[in-house]
Amino acid sequence: MKRAAVIIINRNLPEVTDRLRQFIKSSDGDVADVFVIESGSDPDKLSRYHTWWANWEESVAQGLRTPRGFNYALSRLLEENRFKDYDFFFLLPNDAEFEGPGAVKRLMKEMELHPRLGILAPCAKTWGEYRLLGKNVTKYFWYISPGPWFFRRQYIEDVMERDSPDHMNFLYDGTNFRGYESNIELIAKGYANDWGSAITTKVMVQENESYLKTRAEVIKTDPYETNMLKYVEEGKKWLRRKYGFNNRWTLQMYSKFFYEKFFDYYPGLKKYRI
Amino acid sequence: MQHPKISRFIRQRCCTLLGVGPMSRNCVDAAIEISNQHDVPLFLVASRQQIDAEEFGGGYVNGWTTAEFARYIQENDSKGGIILARDHGGPWQNNHEVRQKHSLRQAMESAKRSYKADIEAGFEFIHIDPSTDIWGEPCIDEVLARVFELYEHCWAAAKRKNKDIFFEIGAEKQSGDIGALDEVDYMLSKMRTFCRKNHFKFPSFVVVQTGTKVAEMKNIGSLGTPFRVAHELPVEIQLPKLVDICNRNNIFLKQHNTDYLNDDTLSFYPKLGIHSANVAPEFGTRETLALLDLFDKFGLAALKERFLRLALDSGKWDKWMLPETAAGDLEKAVIAGHYVFSSPAFAAIKEELEKKLKGKIPGVDRYLTEDIKKGLMRYLRNFRLLGLEHL
Repeated sequence: MKRAAVIIINRNLPEVTDRLRQFIKSSDGDVADVFVIESGSDPDKLSRYHTWWANWEESVAQGLRTPRGFNYALSRLLEENRFKDYDFFFLLPNDAEFEGPGAVKRLMKEMELHPRLGILAPCAKTWGEYRLLGKNVTKYFWYISPGPWFFRRQYIEDVMERDSPDHMNFLYDGTNFRGYESNIELIAKGYANDWGSAITTKVMVQENESYLKTRAEVIKTDPYETNMLKYVEEGKKWLRRKYGFNNRWTLQMYSKFFYEKFFDYYPGLKKYRI
Repeated sequence: MQHPKISRFIRQRCCTLLGVGPMSRNCVDAAIEISNQHDVPLFLVASRQQIDAEEFGGGYVNGWTTAEFARYIQENDSKGGIILARDHGGPWQNNHEVRQKHSLRQAMESAKRSYKADIEAGFEFIHIDPSTDIWGEPCIDEVLARVFELYEHCWAAAKRKNKDIFFEIGAEKQSGDIGALDEVDYMLSKMRTFCRKNHFKFPSFVVVQTGTKVAEMKNIGSLGTPFRVAHELPVEIQLPKLVDICNRNNIFLKQHNTDYLNDDTLSFYPKLGIHSANVAPEFGTRETLALLDLFDKFGLAALKERFLRLALDSGKWDKWMLPETAAGDLEKAVIAGHYVFSSPAFAAIKEELEKKLKGKIPGVDRYLTEDIKKGLMRYLRNFRLLGLEHL
């Protein structure tokens, strides 16, 4: 039985997705099953390895994006009675590029070393956190940038929707279409439920943003700058609607508050505090 | 060591204090009036370009020398809410020292004379910032050696005059570089050793990088946006870490370049633990925009054109522009406007404007001052500087 499920989200970039899928399969295929979710891709732009194809009208028109896309994949795994087969879920955007093979194995090993970790994020060389941590180090954070995240199933089970989970609500809040601050929301939920979130430099990854910047038309998504603007505009409305928060810093403080409490309950983990 | 009044105010109100750049005489008047009307302490944070000692020819703000500026405040600030503060004192912080290509020794001596004038005039807060060096970028230890020399000089000058002064240290490289965290820690630790050894007061404020950066008429730093900057720590991590460092060292965190941020961001400052924030160019451009509004309201196109030409030709906008700016002449003139307010050419324009508007408005300066006060009130509200009834 393979312990990890790797889920790659694709929208109209089959060659990029296939390359990533092959890379994971060849280096971690012995420990992980790889699934590809098509986020409203055109019929002629499906990954040859696609597992599910969200092709209803709305998903084709605007894609599922991170929240709905990964929710959809997770809900399909649950429907197919395969969700509990896995201890870990690696949710990957298709533009992720790893530095060296064996990312899943190394992340699994790290999760085993840190049994209170719910979320583990590989680091990127372009992040300031890389210099803060140094090489081969894992530390716990109250804020982690969105990107490829490795989840523990127990964490997901603690925070997920329990009544009829679907593409709108399984793990992420699907009403937050572009995922504004959804990273902090998940981290805060984690600390509030005794699950830490960490960044590790034992696995390095880079998201190749050039696809979003130069191939937005092919992907059938908003141009990069438009997406950034809408991400903030729509996201702020979502934050206010859901929490009554007028400011992203409120969510940040909420996360930091539970982060600090976490180390009161687990003083032995203080050495991993930043 | 903290200024008792300031310290008490911050802790009682759980607020962020405001440092106002004295961009013009109207801006100074607005700060005095707001401080007095609302019983709120406000720092007037004067750079050496704005206000400097007589021997350096004063500054561009109203042509004031340090002594004249201080006297003006002392005469007009009836409730004593204004705190005079030197912003970025230090070598090569006055154009004169740059133009004359002063050596380090000359620039340090020049800076010391400028500080002496500050202390004699009654400045209570002294920002020591020797990070500028026209001959190369000094390393942290070189900067610290210069800080210590200037600190000692100011301390002795204050003692001689029986004045009580407080210090602000730190520079503003305007980045979220991870090195900033270690550097702040290192600087504060060295500073503590230095102060203990010499029985000096520990500084009250440290300027740290919190993701703010002003260019043109916007804040282009990462504080106001959720997007990360390559090779920098996200401000979501950097800022709380810096607050922790400051709290651990019992020193207040001062943010510079706070201009042009939106209310959503500013209103969070007290909760984030930012003790004080400086705003300067925003008040200058605000006054200029209010002036342009007057020209427009009363159909004074020719006079407006004369002012815009004067501001544009001053070239004072240059240092504020982004490398690939899309700004046109109007925006450049707005950015440079307040730099020409004390010029004879502007005095002539204003005289004509006063004549044309006689009886229509209570006076040009009054109109502009009231507008700046609205800009100041935005900060007072967001920083929780007002009483609860205003929130």
